[in-house]
Amino acid sequence: MNPVVSTYIVQGIYGITYGMILFLIASGLNIIFGMMGILNMAHAAFLMLAGYFCYQVVQITGNFWMGLIFAPILVAVLGVLMEQLFLRRVLGSHVGELILTMGIANVIVAGIKKIWGTESLPLQMPDLLSGMVSIAGMGYPVYRLFVIGLALAVMLFMMLLLYRTRLGKVVRAAVSDREMVNALGININLVSMLVFGVGTWMAGLAGVVIAPILTVFPGLADQVGMDAFIVVVTGGFGSLQGAFIVSIIFGLLSSYGVQFVSQFAPVLIVVFMAIVLVFRPNGLFGAKER
Amino acid sequence: MMNKTTRIILWMIGILVLVLIPKLFGVYYTNMVVTFAILSVFALSLNMLLGYTGLLSFGHAMFFGFGGYGTALALKHIGGLGLLPAIGIGVLSAVVLALILCPLVVRVSGTAFAMLHLAFGQLMYVLALKMYRVTGGEDGIANFPVPGILTESLKNSPENFYYMAMIILCLCAWMMWFFTKTPFGQIQVGMRDNANRIDYLGYKVPQSKAVIYTLSAMFAGVAGSIYGLFLNLVSADGSLGIVMSFVPIVSVMIGGVGSFFGPILGVAVFKMVDELILRYTESTELVMGIILIVVMMFMPMGFMGLINLLKKRIKAWFVARAEMEKVS
Repeated sequence: MNPVVSTYIVQGIYGITYGMILFLIASGLNIIFGMMGILNMAHAAFLMLAGYFCYQVVQITGNFWMGLIFAPILVAVLGVLMEQLFLRRVLGSHVGELILTMGIANVIVAGIKKIWGTESLPLQMPDLLSGMVSIAGMGYPVYRLFVIGLALAVMLFMMLLLYRTRLGKVVRAAVSDREMVNALGININLVSMLVFGVGTWMAGLAGVVIAPILTVFPGLADQVGMDAFIVVVTGGFGSLQGAFIVSIIFGLLSSYGVQFVSQFAPVLIVVFMAIVLVFRPNGLFGAKER
Repeated sequence: MMNKTTRIILWMIGILVLVLIPKLFGVYYTNMVVTFAILSVFALSLNMLLGYTGLLSFGHAMFFGFGGYGTALALKHIGGLGLLPAIGIGVLSAVVLALILCPLVVRVSGTAFAMLHLAFGQLMYVLALKMYRVTGGEDGIANFPVPGILTESLKNSPENFYYMAMIILCLCAWMMWFFTKTPFGQIQVGMRDNANRIDYLGYKVPQSKAVIYTLSAMFAGVAGSIYGLFLNLVSADGSLGIVMSFVPIVSVMIGGVGSFFGPILGVAVFKMVDELILRYTESTELVMGIILIVVMMFMPMGFMGLINLLKKRIKAWFVARAEMEKVS
């Protein structure tokens, strides 16, 4: 095949991979915001923590798959604990909750620096995923394809959960009117806890799959977290399809942007966000202010 | 409670202390007070939006940064420019930016307002990083001349700089305080609590918002301009980045949202953590995080709320004791 075309395709795959990872993070952030109105600034810190947990698990067991399974669950448990012990008890406004999650993020980063140091730690991807696979005469990195597949599977699972089960119905109802659902005799606190757990679990999953690509270091949260936050804002709070579309656009914008206008790739993303927000202040698919 | 004479005496004492600081303490503490004053004015300007008008902005640093960049660029490229015109140019650039953004942002409030500011703040930050011919990119603009008003140059005389900065900053703080007392300043609280009501009362909500917004940007610009002069450096990370946007938000929240002096108290806590904790432990992050968590969990109105509560308790205690004496 034409080498130029193949470069484009490979770049596209890189972009979509990053987009999918962004989607994993952003959708977790999104359902938490939709459900509780909390802008969780600690979300990216949990992601980073999952990366470190995975590193530790790999150090002990030598098996990436164990890390992939256990690190996100551990992080989800921590997330639920945070929700139960701290967020539930904040008396003030939503801004207060935001500052509280910032405090928690600070503590997590400080803990990480204390335990693992400040160097960036490499994480080997498993042998099964480290090669290239050739499709139609072109080589694709297997790991990226695996990440795309995994994110798609998680997305499918989320969609089924949200739109095909009773629990999903309750969650969607709670997003639109929390008090009413509570009044109908559904334990809204339990549902919130569950949603928080699932959201953090998704962040953890993203943290684990991004670790072999970017390595784990204490600045990871800032780097990925800001992008994910921008995705949620641009896609619209409380909208999964918005988050999906915008994360793919962002992934492609950043990878093709680096290829064509390398200097101004970050500018492209921000300009896109500014333009969208000027015309639709609540994001592309965002609902009207409640 | 406080009569006029005591108030005047207190003011005199306060001014005397401020005047004497550089004489009594060394350069180190003088500079600390200057940073404290700059961040206080910055936080106060944000409190005009967040505390009084109820608008959360994630991009207030862009006005701070514009003030700094405007002053620095003016001093660098226009030879023989005086200090006050340079500060004026910085403030003017912040005001112009606010006027450009006004038509876009006054229509919205709540989350959308915050997010729009996040977008523009990031845009300005990324542009400042990438347009390195103008802004110097990541290095920023450093070593521009700092002319004095009466003296030769303020570059190597922290004492003179202190007086210049404190006069301007205290004037700004006083103006903001005065503004909250004017009838127009009272409207902002009304808009925070019930914008529709203010509309029905015959005030123009978007226009009033725009005026408050521009004023807030102006004071942030003053703070940023003096910060740039103080460090003799403006950089994208130091004065435009998202971190700089969160500094005043956090100060306002831990100091006490909605009270005028809360943000100053918040900045004081901030500085104290920086100064004191760094002597004992490396991880300021941990301490700051714990402070944020504790304040938000137990003191929703911040340290100012705590002080008010203590005041009330003490007063109640005195009243109770007086009652007891009356009974016995």
